[in-house]
Amino acid sequence: MTIDISSAGRIVPIEPAPGSFGGFVARARRSGGLVVQPRMGMSSPRTMREGLAATRDASATTVGTITLDSYTRVGGHSAARQALADGVDLNGYPIVAHDRDVTRGVLRGVRAANFPVQVRHGSAAPQDIFAALVAAGLDATEGGPVSYCLPYSRTPIRESVDNWVQCCEMLAERAGPGVEPHLETFGGCMLGQLCPPSLLVAISALEAMFFVQHGLRSVSLSYAQQTNPAQDEEAVRALRRIAAHFLPGIDWHVVIYTYMGVYPRTPGGARGLLEAAARLAVRSGSERLIVKTEAEAHRIPTIAENVMALEAAAAVAVAERDRLQPAGLDDTGVYAEARALVDAVLSLDPDIGRGLTLAFERGYLDVPYCLHPDNLGRTRSSIDSDGRLRWASIGSMPIGHLVAAAKPRTVTSSDLLRALSYVEREFDDAALNHSNRRHLADSLSHRPDDTAETTMTEPNTTGAGVPDGFPASPREHLSSPVTRTVLRIQHRMLTAAREHLSAQGFVEMLPPMIGPVTDPGARGAKQIDIDYYGHRYKLMTSAILYKQASLLAFDKIFYVAPNVRLEPLETSTTGRHLAEFHQIDVEVAGASRDDILHILEDLVRGIVRRVVEEMPDELEFLGRDTSAFTELLSRPFERRTHAAAVRDLHDIGHDQSPEAEIDWQAEVKLSRKVSHPLFVTDYPKGSRGFYDRESRTSPGQLCNFDLIAPEGYGELCSGSEREHEYGRIVSRMRETGENPAKYGWYLQLVREGIPSSAGFGLGLERLTRYVTGLDAVWQANAYPKLPGVKSP
Amino acid sequence: MESDSHTWNLVFLQLVLEELGHRVTNLGACVPDQVLVDRCRLPPPDLIVISSVNGHGYNDGMRLIRMLRSQSELAVTPIVIGGKLGIGGADDLRYSGALLAAGFDAVFQDTAGIESFRSYARSLSGQAS
Repeated sequence: MTIDISSAGRIVPIEPAPGSFGGFVARARRSGGLVVQPRMGMSSPRTMREGLAATRDASATTVGTITLDSYTRVGGHSAARQALADGVDLNGYPIVAHDRDVTRGVLRGVRAANFPVQVRHGSAAPQDIFAALVAAGLDATEGGPVSYCLPYSRTPIRESVDNWVQCCEMLAERAGPGVEPHLETFGGCMLGQLCPPSLLVAISALEAMFFVQHGLRSVSLSYAQQTNPAQDEEAVRALRRIAAHFLPGIDWHVVIYTYMGVYPRTPGGARGLLEAAARLAVRSGSERLIVKTEAEAHRIPTIAENVMALEAAAAVAVAERDRLQPAGLDDTGVYAEARALVDAVLSLDPDIGRGLTLAFERGYLDVPYCLHPDNLGRTRSSIDSDGRLRWASIGSMPIGHLVAAAKPRTVTSSDLLRALSYVEREFDDAALNHSNRRHLADSLSHRPDDTAETTMTEPNTTGAGVPDGFPASPREHLSSPVTRTVLRIQHRMLTAAREHLSAQGFVEMLPPMIGPVTDPGARGAKQIDIDYYGHRYKLMTSAILYKQASLLAFDKIFYVAPNVRLEPLETSTTGRHLAEFHQIDVEVAGASRDDILHILEDLVRGIVRRVVEEMPDELEFLGRDTSAFTELLSRPFERRTHAAAVRDLHDIGHDQSPEAEIDWQAEVKLSRKVSHPLFVTDYPKGSRGFYDRESRTSPGQLCNFDLIAPEGYGELCSGSEREHEYGRIVSRMRETGENPAKYGWYLQLVREGIPSSAGFGLGLERLTRYVTGLDAVWQANAYPKLPGVKSP
Repeated sequence: MESDSHTWNLVFLQLVLEELGHRVTNLGACVPDQVLVDRCRLPPPDLIVISSVNGHGYNDGMRLIRMLRSQSELAVTPIVIGGKLGIGGADDLRYSGALLAAGFDAVFQDTAGIESFRSYARSLSGQAS
């Protein structure tokens, strides 16, 4: 539909006067330049004038800004006058409190045809402000009946509309030879964050139409940078398409606001966000950009900081224009949603102000999280996994046919906190990662091989040592860029494992944590007893018995299982032991050892490939050279029997008993000798628990294995075919000194029959350490518990 | 309160209370004193939460609590205040004592974290049931 929104009914596009705000921007557009503008306002006329002059003189195409103080915004002009009389600095320029001749003096010789100045305020009742700026000879400002009412005031929308009608008319009357008043919508900002782009576009466009309906012929439409560059670009394209359709014969342009929500606190993060805004402005064909400074999160910026931001944005804009990257072509429906909202409002009443009032009353427009009494408050928004703002609930807005998965989703208080700080976190993290890269490269030159060597030649015999670098506090550890990068990679590894196993028909089950008995085979580690309603129960050291039981439900299962083992104190500095850790625990009914080795090998390769392909930046940041995985990804893992491994160890002078488990020091030596993952198979009976199946053809030998990582990272995984026959299990229990009476529930199941099976437990922290090249396994755990070390 | 136009803190608190099973009337930002008093009198809610983050919380809170407690309907209604009550520093601790003495049932400084507020709200639910 079309609607006559121009009271004068003009259809010929106006060419705004060369010296006017719109005329200046139009000229800059023709010469291909982006106009940049600060958010600058000082209470002292002298400083305000200096700020304007510095803006004009910056190496960029600039327009000047007079931002008003918060007293003036709410009509507290006498408070502003009192502050001026008392010599108290305000947070902006009090244009009403200052005499108009003072303001004329501020502008004289600074404001010119090649340097227009705009007043920025934030008032829902701005008549005094408009009168003052007009009296001072100014004719460019911004705001809107919705955008300065809903977020910041309790003024009823109806009143705000009336106020803005008066103000538009007051400003439009200024039009004359060489003068074309200009009004910018603030509607592209709505609460600064978490308002989905389609609603921002709709409100910004509707406010522009409202301005035009009340006499303005030169307007700009704002859009505030949100959470995802591609989505923002799509939104600005939608805004331009709607403006082109609904503002015929009008001089209009688009202004981008650098992010208006919780701002990055690091200088690098703040710069990064400003640069992203400048790129958005260029890529979306916008004409003007309002910048923010590195001081944004902390205080009111200085003039010099404003100039730096202007020049930085201008430089990025030039570079982006020269890149000649094709504009994005995403269409996720922003235009359709925004257009549906605009059409719905226009259909309510030919008078756009009345239409807007009715639209909020009926919930056609409903700003998420806005508490204004005239906002229905039935909508919710959230941030997608790819950083896009989306609707969690659309309330009564007429876009149900357009919003995918219109089923409302709950947004919890912690979701909200995370969403509010999403942009800050993204940009601060990126900045911290960048600045830590060098520092980290130094710390990582200390390879695990060296660690192992040191540990072996100087064994810690004094008990619980704490390795260098172990975090002093959870805060230090959790907020460290290394930890965060490692945990992100670990998350991807788990995702990869789950997808890989699920695709092969595995069912993920959740493991028990408490039982009357737990796997007795954890070498040298003690179990934790707990009081379970008067019974002495255990925390799981591993869940092998339960995995066997789980095969009664499904043939192929896996857990991501927490395990607790009180490892000997001397393991605290091995870099490979944690008292609390996790395993990807897999068990397959009817499988042989060969079967399970193939499943494990495929799983490890799948996880590593996923990280190498999808997280190269993170690996580079951690200093992990991905060429370390070339062999792993391209050829089958090596296999060696325990007997052969013992011979190898003897050859390099390590006194390894052929009857026993390979100790962790020997594992490291083996690990350092290979460039490729290595399976060690056929451990001697007596080295492992009763559940590892004894070979029927070579008695005394178990059908089991360990997986050893190369480069000194050591053992990643243990696994085996399982004993599953009642008689054999009971006799193996007796051989290993276990009391069968303790295993009542398990033996009952076994007696009635459980499937034969094979399985493994792949240490998640150990695998993460290997993939990320960390010094120690504790770095791959959010709450590391080193043996014997007091930990949260 | 009237001088404070911040709203994200109020939205967050609303979600926290809703998650604990409460129904919430959120009066929003910049609430004039009389609007708050009128809304709280009839019918009195189970809990009145005042949140301020602009650094004027102490002054505004002292004025508000006297107005609220002077209403007979609100003599024993739990009323709490929290946020950034002063402009920082040691004075903020002194503020807590004065606000409690003036009639608030609890004061939650912004440094205390949301958990203390959650457990306070939970303890109220316990009393109610």
